[in-house]
Amino acid sequence: MAEIVLSGVSKRWGSFVGVDKFDLTIPDREFLVLLGPSGCGKTTTMRMIAGLEDPTEGDILIDGKVVNNLEPKDRDVAMVFQSYALYPNMNVYENIRFPLKVRGADPATHKDKVMRASAMVELDDFLDRKPAELSGGQRQRVALARAIVREPNVFLMDEPLSNLDAKLRVSTRAQIKNLSHELAVTTIYVTHDQIEAMTLADRVVVMEKGVVQQVGSPTEIYNYPANTFVAGFIGNPAMNLLDGMISGGVFTAAKTEITGLQAPDGPVTLGFRAEDAEVTDQGGQITAPIYTLELLGDATMVSVRIGGVLVSAKADKSFRAEIDDMVSIRIPHDHCHLFDATTGLRIGDKPG
Amino acid sequence: MASKAQRVPLGLRLTTSLFIIVWLILAAFPFFWTLWGSFKVELDFFSIADWTNALFGPRTQETYGSPFTGAGYYGAWVQEDFWRAAINTFIVCFFVVCTSLTIGTLGGYALSRSGFRYTFWLLIIALIFRAMPPITLVAGYMLPFFEWNVWGILPTTIIVLVAINQPFTLWMLHSFFQNIPKELDESAKVDGCTQFQAFRHVIVPVMWPGVITTGLFSFLLAYNDFAVTSMLLSESNRTMIPEIAAFLGTTYTEGNVMFAVAAVVSATAPLFILVMFFQRQIVSGLTAGAVKG
Repeated sequence: MAEIVLSGVSKRWGSFVGVDKFDLTIPDREFLVLLGPSGCGKTTTMRMIAGLEDPTEGDILIDGKVVNNLEPKDRDVAMVFQSYALYPNMNVYENIRFPLKVRGADPATHKDKVMRASAMVELDDFLDRKPAELSGGQRQRVALARAIVREPNVFLMDEPLSNLDAKLRVSTRAQIKNLSHELAVTTIYVTHDQIEAMTLADRVVVMEKGVVQQVGSPTEIYNYPANTFVAGFIGNPAMNLLDGMISGGVFTAAKTEITGLQAPDGPVTLGFRAEDAEVTDQGGQITAPIYTLELLGDATMVSVRIGGVLVSAKADKSFRAEIDDMVSIRIPHDHCHLFDATTGLRIGDKPG
Repeated sequence: MASKAQRVPLGLRLTTSLFIIVWLILAAFPFFWTLWGSFKVELDFFSIADWTNALFGPRTQETYGSPFTGAGYYGAWVQEDFWRAAINTFIVCFFVVCTSLTIGTLGGYALSRSGFRYTFWLLIIALIFRAMPPITLVAGYMLPFFEWNVWGILPTTIIVLVAINQPFTLWMLHSFFQNIPKELDESAKVDGCTQFQAFRHVIVPVMWPGVITTGLFSFLLAYNDFAVTSMLLSESNRTMIPEIAAFLGTTYTEGNVMFAVAAVVSATAPLFILVMFFQRQIVSGLTAGAVKG
């Protein structure tokens, strides 16, 4: 049982704000992902929870107990580092065993525990090797095994997949998902990769410049982004964002006219996802020449230029056209998201 | 199996081999000359009449009935108690290395992990002290040491040598520590170590080649030091190097120069053994900074 509460946690270095007034309650056994571009404060937040960094302000509570002044070793957290930070002088077995050894766990239980942890991450054949003799994926799994071996209350992972190649990343991601289901321990996972966030998380915290932008389930942040930052960060490709005017429920921008929207008149930013749009010959809400055409295999991505921005729409995989051909993009008005033009905040809590 | 492109032209190969051989002879010759000559009498080794006497040793043959004699070694070690100087050297080196490594590893680690700006200036000051000739410090030490009645004994010399040596060990170890990623400390701390345990169980084992290399350099400084030991030690407490100098200094008696030569050979031998023994650690220590692991 480990509930983590962050209340008003801030981190500043001089005038630079790393994390600004972070408030969050992470219930027991939740898999929480901190997501954001590099430098957004997500790793700093995790390091403050681990005790490697002192918060400038605010309290961190684990299990209802303020841990601000506790050393990392007394917080009962385990952490997987981006660089894995394996001990180069010890073999895999010794690496995994290290936390048990320094914490003075009963030596008789060491072997069992290490074997169990190494079996979970399929490392049984490599126990005698030194970290230098392992591949990146294997090192990563040693780091995971070292973290799970002593069954901590809280599991912290700092971009554990970012040093792996694309294919390995997918399989290790699946392994982490399965592992977290099996262990059922509160987990905080830091990443800049939104696909990792979507696939792994129970809840996602999107951060930018030290400020929390949105907290919600992957579906929520995907379907109802709270502001233009989240809308533009989540999804591949990210949500199309168009600046324009709305009047009488009609949104207008260059080459664009969408009717049936509900919002007060004035300047707004309109967003829609590429897969919600439909590419046709005519009768769509946007009509423009094709700027670029990308064949993705399972679909064809068609982009047009509206004002300064590229707008993408997903067409059928058999769709073919030439650059500069005119296309029309049909956008159902109930798949449009509206955001305030100045603050970027969402208008209305449903699309449309 | 070298392909044509990788094959080195014969001329170049010959030149490089030749160069290496010439260099080896140049570098090794003084050692072998001294080693060979240490088994001769002075009149042979320092013969004015014919330099080949040093090679074949006719006078040695005349005196001892064989072209080789251990008289120089006997004189140095037995008659002149050179073993005492050897023991003194051992004591001085041992304590200098231990002290400067202890302070150096702890200090270097602290400086490398400290986020404060003054660490840079501390290191610069250390460098300035290192740049000063040791003799400048010794001159200043003499008077207070006489007044406090601590002149001439080994501990005083050890402290002075440590003081001279410390900036260098601090620098060297500091740069070794900086090459060890901070995550290693942090990982150890999350795994359950205190700061000191992380240092002892995780950082020092990784640092071992660096510690050995630095230790060797500080050993060599203490072992080879002349300025400090000759000024600060009384006759009975001399280490090997000032003792050898003392042998040379009394040329009016025959044989003492040969004692010096024999003592020089005796003093060099342990260095060879030491470097051979630690060569693997030294090489990995010297290259540790070059390639990131």
